[in-house]
Amino acid sequence: MRIITHSCPECGTVVAANELEDNRVMKCPREGCQEVLRFDDLTEEEQEFFLDNRDQYQI
Amino acid sequence: MRGVLLSGGTGSRLRPITHTGPKQLVPVANKPVIEYAIEDLKAAGVTEIGVVLGHKGREEIQELLGDGSKYGVDITYIVQGNPLGLAHAVGCAREFVDDSDFVVYLGDNMLRHGVSDLIESFQSDEYGAGIALQEVSNPEAFGVADVDDQGTVKRLVEKPDDPPSNLALIGMYVFSPAVFDVIEDLEPSWRGELEITDAIQSLLENGYEIDSHVVTGWWKDTGKPEDILEANRLVLEDAERSLRGTVEDGAEIRGKVQLAKSATIESGAVVRGPVSIADDVTIEDGSYVGPYTSIGENTRIAGPHIENTVIVGESEVTTNGRIIDSLIGRAAQVESAEGMLPEGRRMVVGENSQLHL
Ligand SMILES: [Zn+2]
Repeated sequence: MRIITHSCPECGTVVAANELEDNRVMKCPREGCQEVLRFDDLTEEEQEFFLDNRDQYQI
Repeated sequence: MRGVLLSGGTGSRLRPITHTGPKQLVPVANKPVIEYAIEDLKAAGVTEIGVVLGHKGREEIQELLGDGSKYGVDITYIVQGNPLGLAHAVGCAREFVDDSDFVVYLGDNMLRHGVSDLIESFQSDEYGAGIALQEVSNPEAFGVADVDDQGTVKRLVEKPDDPPSNLALIGMYVFSPAVFDVIEDLEPSWRGELEITDAIQSLLENGYEIDSHVVTGWWKDTGKPEDILEANRLVLEDAERSLRGTVEDGAEIRGKVQLAKSATIESGAVVRGPVSIADDVTIEDGSYVGPYTSIGENTRIAGPHIENTVIVGESEVTTNGRIIDSLIGRAAQVESAEGMLPEGRRMVVGENSQLHL
């Protein structure tokens, strides 16, 4: 299974695509980091792949 | 070598203790379980640690560990979100480990001798992965490894009817970055998770050699209340006596007692180690605190007989009854019903509690 992640450019916290997609726009989960992370921060190819295979990232 | 510390999971088998926090923060000998893992990694020379977080306890775990500087390590957080299996958690750490070898440590597991030997035994030039094994008397209940004389793994079998050995996998691993390509090709198992044993099996099938290391000291998965008590017992067994707090004249203390600086054992109290007593705890006259008990911060013990018990903290125990083999959650009050009519026990018990009355 392909695992897609995104790193916060500010603090380096790594966030899995399923988490980004759940929220679309979210504050970085690192306490004290004010960076806003978006599902759109993933490349277009990554977004497309994730949405096409959405089911396998749910539990 | 980097470290990946898996700290997700719901802690459902530790309810009600885990209703209010993640299982990795339950204290063993007055220290959260996850701190033992950080210290083991540090002792093995692993100072760059990725902590994988699930849904539960994200804030609490970050609050405790911070950026790792208080432990002399550097922590990066990795948010897995949905619990899609241990191999998924490992896969989320790909960017973090950045093509180096890495050790995977389950954040609710404890190992007496840490992971140094496992790391030493593994050499990346030769192996795709290294696994920790322990001899068990009931291998049919575990994932079991078939190994040759050199400790090289031939195959893995999950809960076999006819076990090829008594060597069970205990959830500590070292991987080369080759594991990431293998994880990418994995399919979820019947329970919808990417399984770490499938990843190792697939490394084997792809021609990688897998090293193994048999762990001789104790290993404990702290998933259930009785495991917490057992881990507490094992850690206290190895503890040294250290009386930094106040012991009043007329208090009786024997054995390995660890008394924090602002804790007090009052006259007329009896404490028999191994026992750990945290800051701002008072053991009052008429109380007996017996072997394998840990009492968390800001707790008052007035009158009971306590043995083999973990009190998380901020509690008052003022009954004069006997409390044994118990796990008492934060801010729980255990008072006396003596003199109250009609006679009987009075309880406010949280969801999923267990009582033996
Ligand atoms: Zn951030």
